[in-house]
Amino acid sequence: MVVLLAGFLGGSLAMAGSSDESSELTRADVERLAAEVARMRERLDEMEALRERVGQLEQALEEARRDLESRQLAAPQKRDVSASGDAAEAGNTSSDEDESDGIDFKGALRFTAFWSDSNDAVKGTRGDSGLDLFRVGAEGSIDDLLLSAEYRFYPFMDAIHHGWIGYEFDNEDQIQLGITRVPFGLLPYASHSFWFGVPYYLGFSDDYDLGVKYIHRDGPTNLQFAFFKNAELAGASDLGRYSYDILSAGDYRNEESNQVNVRAAHTFGFETSCSHEVGVSGQWGELYNFDTRRRGDHWAAAAHLDTRCGRWNLQLQGTRFEINPEQPTAIGDDIVRVGGFETSYDMATEGTLAVANVAYNVPIDSEYIDQIICYNDYSVLFKDRSDFRKSQLNTTGCLVGRGPVFLYLDLIQANNMVFFGDGSLAGQGEDDWKTRFNVNLGYYW
Amino acid sequence: MMISRFRRRCRQAVMVSVGVIAAFSTAQAETDRLTAVSWGGAYTRSQILGFVRDFERSSGIDVEMIDYVGGIDEIRSQVRSYNVKWDVVDLELFDAIRACDEGLLVEIDPASLPTAPDGTPASEDFVEGALMPCGVGNVAAATVVAYSSSRLDQGPETLEDFFDLGKFPGRRGLRRTPMSNLEWALIADGVEPSRVYEILDTDDGLDRAFRSLDRIKQQIEWWELGEEAIRLLETDAVVMTSAYNGRVESAAARGEPFAIVWDHHVRFKDVWAVPRHSENEAAALAFLRFATSTRSLANQAQYIAYGPLRKSSLRLLDRDVLKRLPTAEENLELGFATDAQWWGENLPAIQRRFDRWVERSIQVPRELPGR
Repeated sequence: MVVLLAGFLGGSLAMAGSSDESSELTRADVERLAAEVARMRERLDEMEALRERVGQLEQALEEARRDLESRQLAAPQKRDVSASGDAAEAGNTSSDEDESDGIDFKGALRFTAFWSDSNDAVKGTRGDSGLDLFRVGAEGSIDDLLLSAEYRFYPFMDAIHHGWIGYEFDNEDQIQLGITRVPFGLLPYASHSFWFGVPYYLGFSDDYDLGVKYIHRDGPTNLQFAFFKNAELAGASDLGRYSYDILSAGDYRNEESNQVNVRAAHTFGFETSCSHEVGVSGQWGELYNFDTRRRGDHWAAAAHLDTRCGRWNLQLQGTRFEINPEQPTAIGDDIVRVGGFETSYDMATEGTLAVANVAYNVPIDSEYIDQIICYNDYSVLFKDRSDFRKSQLNTTGCLVGRGPVFLYLDLIQANNMVFFGDGSLAGQGEDDWKTRFNVNLGYYW
Repeated sequence: MMISRFRRRCRQAVMVSVGVIAAFSTAQAETDRLTAVSWGGAYTRSQILGFVRDFERSSGIDVEMIDYVGGIDEIRSQVRSYNVKWDVVDLELFDAIRACDEGLLVEIDPASLPTAPDGTPASEDFVEGALMPCGVGNVAAATVVAYSSSRLDQGPETLEDFFDLGKFPGRRGLRRTPMSNLEWALIADGVEPSRVYEILDTDDGLDRAFRSLDRIKQQIEWWELGEEAIRLLETDAVVMTSAYNGRVESAAARGEPFAIVWDHHVRFKDVWAVPRHSENEAAALAFLRFATSTRSLANQAQYIAYGPLRKSSLRLLDRDVLKRLPTAEENLELGFATDAQWWGENLPAIQRRFDRWVERSIQVPRELPGR
C-alpha cells in the first residue's frame, strides 16, 4: 500500500512538475491536486496511527505469548525413570541413569580368554579363549508402563536373564511383574568384577525369580517388597538358567517357592559427594521336596554398607542364612543342591557370608580410554558345620572402557570354591588357593 | 489539442508506472526478510520488544528470530559454503573474536554506527572493549549463582557455597561449557579472581580447576540454553544453578521466588555481528546499526537486566533499572569480567578436554557393564 501510494504520489508530482506542459494546467487543476495531496496526507497519518496501534497490539500479544510460554515452562515436568529398574532398585542414584520415554533395543557380544592353574588342559594350551555370549534385550517405557527384558545365548545354553513389565506411579513408586531381580543386599551387584563373589554362586546376589516386586523411593530412602512364586523357570530340574537357585538334581530334589523379600536402605549424605547407603534385607521362602513331598523353608538376612566418596567405593555386607529342607533322612539336611549355567553343585545349608569390596575410578584424560575402574573384591562363606571348610574368593582387576567396548581384566584367587579344582561350597573341597586370569572383552549397544 | 491531451495522459501513465515500479524494485532489492540469531527466552524477548519491532516498522523488513546455544561452528559452515542463512548473529565476545580471526565476519567501521543523541561519535560513546573489528557490543550480562527461596530457607551466600555439597546437598545446574565454570572452580579452591587466568594458563592450573569441579560433578545438571537454567529452578530439578542474571530477574518479575548470589559473578559482553557472504548484508548491517543505537539499547534494558554498552543509553535509564544491572556500582565490585581474549585463544583445546570430562563419571558407577 505504501509502495503504491509512493508510486501514485511520484506520478502526481511528476505530472505537476512537467515544465513544458505546466502552462496548460489551470489554477483549478492545481487546487484540485493540492486538495488531493492533503487528503492523501490525512489518510497517510491515519494509516500511521493505525500502524502504531497495530504495533502496540503486537507487543501486547507478544508479551502475552511469552508469559504463557513461561508458565508452561514453569509447570513441573515428570521425571523420567529408568525402566531397567536398576536405578529404582539401587535408589539414590543420580539422574544420569534416567531414561526418556520409548523402548530401546540393546545387546552385547562378548569374548573371553583365560588361564587357570586348576585346569590341566588350559595350562597345556597356555590358556583358552572363545565366545562368551551374545545377548539381546529391550528396555524402556511407554507413558507409565515399563518394560525390561533380556535373553542370553551362551555357547552351551540359552536362557532368559530377566523379563518383566511394570508400572510407574505418580509418586515414582514402581511395580514390576515377571522375572525380576531379587531385592537382597547390595544392589545391583555385591561385586565389581566380572567373576562376581561368593554370594552370587549361592543365589544371594544378582538372583532373578518369577514374581512381583514393589519399589518405593523417597529421596534417600529406598524400600522394596517382593513376592516370588518360584525361581525363574517352572521346572526345578532345569539347569539352563542364568541365576543360581536351589533345585532338583541328583539326590537333592528341592524347589524354591513362595518367597517373600523385604529390603530397606537409607542413604546418608544423599546428593553429596560422599554418600553412605546403609541397608537391611530379609527373605523367607518355602522349599518343597519332591521325595518326601513336604515343605521345608529357608531364610536369609543381610546388612550392607555402600559408600561412595569421590572416586572411591567401599562395599561391605554380612549375610546369615539357613535352609531347612525336608529331605529324606538318609540324605540329611546339611546340604542342598544349587544350580545354573547347565551345572549344579552342593551348598551348605547354614552359614554366614561376608563381603568386602573396594573400587577406585582412576582419573584419566585420554582420547583413547574413557574409563578405568580398578577394584578388589573379597568374599567368604563360613559354614556352620565345623567340618565344612570355608570358601573364599578374591578378585583383583580393572575395567577398561572405550565407548561401547569394555574390557575386564581379572586376577581371581579362590580357596575351596566351585569351578576351581575340587573346591566346594559344601562339605568336601580342598584348602588350596587356585588362580585364574580372566579377560572378557565385550561390545555393548 | 486532442493529440496533445492524449500525449499528456500517456506521459502521466508512464510516469505513474515508473514511480510504482521504482519504489517496488527498491524494496525488493533491499530484501524484505532478515534472519537474526540470538539466545532465546527472556533475552530474545527483550530484543524483540526493545528494538526488533521498531526496526521492522521503520524498515519494512521482517526479522525472523532464531535461537541458538552459542559457538561458531554453524557460522563457519555457512560462510565457507557461501550458503549463509544467518544474516546477523548475537555472539559472545570471545566467539566474535574467534570468528573474526577466522575471517567469518564482516568488518564494521565504527564511523558507520549511529552517534549518540548529543552527537558523540560511536567510538567514544561505547564503553571500552565494546567495539571490535567485526562486531558491535550490545549488552554486558553476568553469570551468577541463582536459587529458589521456596526450596532453600537459608540460601547460598558465596560462590564457595555452590561448591559445598556438605552444606547445601543437592543437584546444581551449570552451563555445559568450560567458560566461567573453570574460573569458578579455581576461586572455590582458593584462587584470587585476579590470578585465575594466569593459573589456568598452566597445565597444573587446569588440572586443579578440573579437580575442584570433580567435587560437585556427580550432582551437576547441565544446561545449554539460558532459559533451561531457569527451568531447572522452576521444576526443582536443582537446588541452585548458574544462570544469566537477566533471565533470573525476568523470572522473578513474573513471580518466581528466585534470588541471585552476586558473589564472584562473571561479567561478559555480547556483540552483534554479520557473517560474510550473506545475500542480505546491507539489510543486516542496517539492523546492526539500529540494534546498537542509543535508544535501542536503552529500550532493551527495560525488558532485561543487562547493561547497555553505550554510555548514552545508560543516561536514559531510571535508577531502579540501573541498580539491577551487572554494571551497577554495588554489583560491579562483587564480580569480575571474563577474559574474552584468553578464551578466544584457548577454548578449542580446553573444550575437548571439558567434553571428555563431562562424559566421564567421577564416582564408581553402580551399574558396571558386562555382567
